[in-house]
Amino acid sequence: MLKMFAPAVGFSTVAINYVFEPKAKKQEVPSPMPITELIGKLPMVQGHSCPIRVLNRLTVVMSEASHFRPNASEYRPFDLLAVQPTTEKLFHAACMLCDVDIICILVTERLPFFFKRAPINGSIDRGVVFEVSYASALRDITMRRYTITNAVCLMESCKGKNVILSSAAEKALELRGPYDIVNLGLLFGLSDTDSKEAVTSTCRAVLLHAEARKTASGIVYTMKSQQEVLRDTADSEAPAAKRPKST
Amino acid sequence: MVRVKSRYLLCEINVSDRSNLLKLDDRAVAGAVRAAVARIHGDYGAALCSVRFCVKYLNAHTGTVFLRFPKGCYKLLWSALPFITSIESRGQIIPCFFNCLHVGGTMRTCQKFLIRYNTQQLHQMLPKCKNEEEKRQIREAILSCTLTGRNDETFEDELMSEEDGE
Repeated sequence: MLKMFAPAVGFSTVAINYVFEPKAKKQEVPSPMPITELIGKLPMVQGHSCPIRVLNRLTVVMSEASHFRPNASEYRPFDLLAVQPTTEKLFHAACMLCDVDIICILVTERLPFFFKRAPINGSIDRGVVFEVSYASALRDITMRRYTITNAVCLMESCKGKNVILSSAAEKALELRGPYDIVNLGLLFGLSDTDSKEAVTSTCRAVLLHAEARKTASGIVYTMKSQQEVLRDTADSEAPAAKRPKST
Repeated sequence: MVRVKSRYLLCEINVSDRSNLLKLDDRAVAGAVRAAVARIHGDYGAALCSVRFCVKYLNAHTGTVFLRFPKGCYKLLWSALPFITSIESRGQIIPCFFNCLHVGGTMRTCQKFLIRYNTQQLHQMLPKCKNEEEKRQIREAILSCTLTGRNDETFEDELMSEEDGE
């Protein structure tokens, strides 16, 4: 149902989030359901002629440094990686060291630590973005206050750069249109241009960052090749004189 | 001081169950917006709402609504709209959300945008038609979408033409 509303409202890319909170030792990372199982045919985006793009995303809630293992093979099926640090040291480590795309800011309770300029500037240089989600603000009054408090604190330290606003929507009716979210950014302390960027260009930058993270130094992208099979059939069909060159 | 300026916000009300849309009326929508603004922005917001706010037009078949706000504070009042989760009308609570499509300085610009938007929706409905009769009706509706002196508009799903006076 959610997927039906998202393209109608105007979003061209949607990511399905799997939240992983390792409480017990050796808990397994959930594997994402293939997208074709969730919805059969992807609906068209309002105003464009291409279908909506659906990605998988993993959020690891970190309460200890060992919870997030860089370059783990279980993270491969996910397109986007996010981390939610709960203490100051973990926040510093996530900003400077962890190989992620997104750092989630807590919105459901008071932040136990203050933001410092140093790790935030470090993460801006690396291309990691901070994410504020607005769905809990729609549900409850106290959540709304915490969301606005935490978001305003973040904006003071990061001056509005590298921020994305996302909906952690669980039901279809918790989604909001892009112009409405841009306006919500004004409530969080962003300026007009920063707010619009938070919904458009910064999000695209995150997708590109995620793709680049999967490659080796941003140049080579490996995937299982089906080229061997194709070459055989092409050889058998083409006449002997016009054999295609092997790539 | 030449002219009092307002901003007209074109919003679409999305519901999960289309039959609930027909139960909406403009008073219920106005009440819901006022309540949301009072919740988010308190007394200041509630006071701003009584300046020049009203629901200018509501189309219950497609869920389109024109809201008018004063130009100086429309962004503040607009920022309260995403927090509307339901509208109460005739004793029933209808869960919904507002999706803002266009902001214009006059009713006429908003209307031109709405006609273009409805034409796009009709184009998108064309491949989903089940029989020739529906296809013919949609093609006729697309061709008759114009802004005339009496502000005619066409619906998306019922394909009836409706007249609306300002």
